Amino acid sequence: MTHSTLTSPSLLDLPRLFPLLSLLHPRQHTRLVLASLGVGLLVSYTAVALGVLPLWAATALVLAILLPAGLLKWHDDRRRYGTTAMTLSILVTAQGLHTVEHLVQWTQYHLFYLTMRQSNGLLSPANSEWVHFVWNWLVLAAVALLLRGGMRGSWIWLLLAVALFHAVEHTYTFVRYQIILRELTAMDVLNVTAQGLPGIVGRDGWLARSEWTRGTWICSLPGLTTAVRLDIHFWWNIIEMTLLLVAGHRHLRRHPLDLPTS
Amino acid sequence: MKCRPPLPFLQLAGLASLLLASLLAGCQPPPPAAPPAAAPAQMTHLPLSGNPACSGSFVPHRLEFTTGTRLREIGTYISNGAGVAANDLDQDGLLDLVFASVDGDSSILWNEGGLEFTPQPLPARFTRAVSTVDADGDGWTDLFFTHRGRAGVSFWHNQGPAAERPHFEPHPLTGVDSYAYAMAWGDSDGDGRLDLVTGSYGAELTQHGVAANDPQAGVHLHLQQEDGWQTQVLSPNAETLSLAFLDLTGDGHPEIWAANDFGLEDHVWTRQENRWQTADLFAQTSYSTMTIEWGDIANNGQLTLFTTDMNPYDIRPRTLAAWLPTVTQLTAQKRADDIQVMANVLLTRASDGRWHDQATRQGVDASGWSWAARYGDLDQDGLLDLYVVNGMIAADLFGHLPNAELVEENQAYRNQGQHFTPAPEWQLGSTASGRGMIMADLDNDGDLDIAVNNLRSFAQLHENQLCSGASLQVELQWLSSQNRNAIGAQLLLTTNVGTLRRDVRASGGYLSGDPTRLHFGFPTGTTLQRLDIYWPDGTLSSFEHPPEHGLLRVTR
Repeated sequence: MTHSTLTSPSLLDLPRLFPLLSLLHPRQHTRLVLASLGVGLLVSYTAVALGVLPLWAATALVLAILLPAGLLKWHDDRRRYGTTAMTLSILVTAQGLHTVEHLVQWTQYHLFYLTMRQSNGLLSPANSEWVHFVWNWLVLAAVALLLRGGMRGSWIWLLLAVALFHAVEHTYTFVRYQIILRELTAMDVLNVTAQGLPGIVGRDGWLARSEWTRGTWICSLPGLTTAVRLDIHFWWNIIEMTLLLVAGHRHLRRHPLDLPTS
Repeated sequence: MKCRPPLPFLQLAGLASLLLASLLAGCQPPPPAAPPAAAPAQMTHLPLSGNPACSGSFVPHRLEFTTGTRLREIGTYISNGAGVAANDLDQDGLLDLVFASVDGDSSILWNEGGLEFTPQPLPARFTRAVSTVDADGDGWTDLFFTHRGRAGVSFWHNQGPAAERPHFEPHPLTGVDSYAYAMAWGDSDGDGRLDLVTGSYGAELTQHGVAANDPQAGVHLHLQQEDGWQTQVLSPNAETLSLAFLDLTGDGHPEIWAANDFGLEDHVWTRQENRWQTADLFAQTSYSTMTIEWGDIANNGQLTLFTTDMNPYDIRPRTLAAWLPTVTQLTAQKRADDIQVMANVLLTRASDGRWHDQATRQGVDASGWSWAARYGDLDQDGLLDLYVVNGMIAADLFGHLPNAELVEENQAYRNQGQHFTPAPEWQLGSTASGRGMIMADLDNDGDLDIAVNNLRSFAQLHENQLCSGASLQVELQWLSSQNRNAIGAQLLLTTNVGTLRRDVRASGGYLSGDPTRLHFGFPTGTTLQRLDIYWPDGTLSSFEHPPEHGLLRVTR
């Protein structure tokens, strides 16, 4: 334990109050990150405006342009703070971006009154089921790595449970997506997507429509069996992000980073 | 490292559930009303002659009527099919059936007893809705039809017996010239005459080249006067699939409810100071409301409304794959204050005076591509059960399916008191594409049978062979009124197992006409204590200890 945890940080000393900020800071790569972001946004905006790329491809392009800067930054994290801190840094950054994706969907649906199918966010139009299936298993793996790397406490275990259930939910929707696609193909229907259908929880989900729960209070549990998929997954990600931030914060307060002196 | 105790999720979930249950249970009884004046009436008890067969389920019978079979291909909105009505047209004590047809003549199926029917085509062509109602008060039940396309209501006057059967003559309805898809009957102004409300179906009118602002389109109220009909426009916009006269505010006077297809919200009008004004009564409605049904499903004196919509009744991948190509075409833009949901809605009135949805909680929110839904005490246990017919045939919507048909099983739900459960043991899961449907005792054995007007296959009669419980049927005759069958009367049968509530209707469900003979089911051994009849003029006739079986004819 270093000396810095024994002294009370001042209110303005944000990096000491919230050590996650230090971890997430691009530090010497700040210019590269900003430049990559600027170039990415400019190229993507132009491509979308000219109709060269769809929105999801433009979003993917921004992320791809940012990736080298991110890799350098995370490599630096590993060198300075170790593998667990680097994993935490990657996970918080990526899950933060994923939460933005859900926030965009939520905004499209609730504020712009687009339909469920139109409320696709930025990246999900590529293929919502593949994106979320792969993503949530990666999140689960990353949380497991954090635990293996020494992160402890009830928050990280709770995060693991939520992430596991989230991954199972997306596995359920992904498998059904594949089966329905096969059914549609057998009917010679090739131009209809089977994405965005309800999963285990939420309105018209397995829990709400199961024979075992039919007509019981379980079918009308606010949110859990009544919310549309978009809301369910928005809140699921908000909860995951919150748990991740709290778990990361508590971990870094217990195991401080070697903060540079100001 | 010491782990923190787990969060008390279970306790929180339990508390939240209790709070939710207490909120949902906040319904209140109707406000007390002034005691009604007594109306003297005579009661005649008629035994029923039918001999029930008892197989423990319903048994389907083919009826000699089809609609939609003369067309090579069914498209929207032929796909919406037609209705069926039941009433005793020849006054022989047996309920006859009248079927509307979207592609040919309508047909009367004269009930010969023993579930034998003699079909008689009626040259009312390309019909949608059908009502059997004695609108002119001459003692004979007349026929009214709405029609496909740009047409209004046709009136077939019952001339009374000619040879063996009554003869029907087409008569003009002077002053009623609105386009009509759905219709409902009721005494809206309390003058003792039956009035008619009609609603047009804009989507179909557009197919027939009718402009959106055509003055004949919309929801129109036709008031029956001494010398004809007077029409007033309730709404110029309508996609009306079902209409109802019923008291939604609990003030003793009927409101008018127009159920609309697509994104057009349902509308309710209430009469205040001799003017019909829109009322905002629903917290939720179906998106494409196909039918309106109502009844006291809990025997607590409160009505529960039910509307149907399109929502697959199971979530198997094969089912969803059949729906998906169509559903993706149907989804429309949302609105900020939209209260519509693409599902069946079961509405109960809460303490705030508004109607709130309980369909999911009651297990009836999804019954397929649903059309007619009716309450009826099918197993005669004293509780109203629910039957929904469904299915869709449309080349432009379901071209990806064999014969462009979404084949679904009709859904029967048994009322368990607190919620409904599917009742496959009743064997009512016909896969014919049902549209209009009525419940009536068609074999005079005391229980409710079911007649369905199927699209592109024979009409069906589902004979009730459950042989459970007992029943009393009641007919009203109001000889001093032009409303001879007392349409709109409320009946309360007080028993030692609860108070059962019914009302006399001329039209109901989807495009269909109800018999004016009411059915009260109850468990065997039930003691009937009193029958109260609240006539449409607000007066009351009461009978202590009514008979516990058969048919009761009450004449005022």
